[in-house]
Amino acid sequence: MTAVVVKYRQAFLVGLQSNLIYRWNFLARGVFSLLRLGVSVILWSAAFAGIAKIGGFGLNQTLTYFVTLILLQFFVGAFNEDYQISEDIRNGLINQFLTKPINYFLYRFSIFTAARVVSGALILIPVLLFLPVLGGWLTFPHEPWRIVCAIPALTMSALIQFSIAYCFGLLTFWLLEIQGFVILSMAVETVLGGQMFPLDLMPPAVFHASRFLPFFYQMYFPAAILTGRITELRVVLQGLALQLAWVVILLLVAEFLWRRGLRRHTAVGG
Amino acid sequence: MNYLRIWLAGARYSLVRTMMFRGDFLVWSLVELLWMSVNLLLIAVIYRHTASVAGWNEYEMVLLVGTGMVVQRLVTGFFWSNLFELSRNVRTGAFDFYLAQPGNPLFMVSTRKLDPDGLVNSVVAVGIVLYAVHRLGIHPTLFAAALYGAMILAGVVIHYSILVLTMASIFWLSSSNGIEGTYFTLVDFSRLPKEAFRGMAGVLFVWILPVVVVSNAPARTLLHGFQPMWTLWIMGVAALWFFIAVAVFNRGLRRYSSASS
Repeated sequence: MTAVVVKYRQAFLVGLQSNLIYRWNFLARGVFSLLRLGVSVILWSAAFAGIAKIGGFGLNQTLTYFVTLILLQFFVGAFNEDYQISEDIRNGLINQFLTKPINYFLYRFSIFTAARVVSGALILIPVLLFLPVLGGWLTFPHEPWRIVCAIPALTMSALIQFSIAYCFGLLTFWLLEIQGFVILSMAVETVLGGQMFPLDLMPPAVFHASRFLPFFYQMYFPAAILTGRITELRVVLQGLALQLAWVVILLLVAEFLWRRGLRRHTAVGG
Repeated sequence: MNYLRIWLAGARYSLVRTMMFRGDFLVWSLVELLWMSVNLLLIAVIYRHTASVAGWNEYEMVLLVGTGMVVQRLVTGFFWSNLFELSRNVRTGAFDFYLAQPGNPLFMVSTRKLDPDGLVNSVVAVGIVLYAVHRLGIHPTLFAAALYGAMILAGVVIHYSILVLTMASIFWLSSSNGIEGTYFTLVDFSRLPKEAFRGMAGVLFVWILPVVVVSNAPARTLLHGFQPMWTLWIMGVAALWFFIAVAVFNRGLRRYSSASS
């Protein structure tokens, strides 16, 4: 057990180092995300003109939701993990994992965790810089159960996001180019993950249906817990159960794709 | 005339290449289509809860956003991948290849290939504009429609200039990784109505940066007919920013020292 922990801890530490190289990229991305938040602020401020509440929430609550999404994106979101995995397969780098006692999923997940530690720490810099502006809007509910429920929700959100990226990366076993599919899925995830607008603003039937999709649990669900868009503990607990189900399903799909993919894989060269 | 021939040769090469990778073309067209739908979905969701945003009703907003999409898709189709590759080419020294060609370097850099998926989707974006015009029940005059077309071209010039300015930063920076974010961030703002901008945001995005005018000027022309102020504004801004972009690019060229390996 200890040996396993040590093994993946090393992968995590290597991940930390290699991601620190890209610190300026993460920082630039963070600054752009906050600047783009300006679009949401201007649009929603105009939509709220003369209206106290939209979908039962005020302007500040809505803006808090968008700020929270940015933080979540840097703390638990998948960035280019799909592309990295795809490159590993295409360049044959994956071959070295086939002969070593190391699980590729866990290895990649350790590096993903390290990357999120780096990007999460870095997003705090622009957020703190913009805090004089953002601080005026931020309004979070205070119930302690929200924090307790947010911890597993965020952990599972990270697992779902990573697993989806992992599965897309593994498609390289079958396809030469996955970039198009990745961006296609990103558009779907952006909408159904609640990054374009809070999902509860959709027609009730569509919102209800979206609860059964994995994308719901990528961003919207943890953000809704933290920002008070889900009001009842009962609904949160139901959500956690569904989220867990999706984690299990996606892990199984990932394992299936890995086994099937390896059958097609030919390790050429040396 | 010579430049037209060069451009046509590049266009022909791009089309042949697209035909070779038909699956890719289909996927990327779908990607762009989906992103356009995402933006329309946002409008639909907002207007479920309000009748007007900054004085614009739902279909006026669709017209505005659709206009922004037409401009952006045309820029994507004609220039995006060419200019996106600029930073890599400057870094690797492959930029020498463009300098060695007997033509204006900015022209050669900008027009080497086309992205047919962007062009296909610009047609879809025009369809969105036409749909909005139909739903609004407006009947623009031929003059207003022609002016709209001219303003779209001015918008393309403005977006192209922003893109050149963004990408030309590679001449001064050692790496421009992620710098394209500047362009996409500015483009996002261009889909909002002018009236929505208040305070400092108004000064910055309406008056200093050429962002809001790109979609607002043509959309207003279709909605309200010829407006001299908006016409002069977009044409003037296009000329000014194109001039700045060319000047900055040429300045950057002087710093380029190739890459040895």
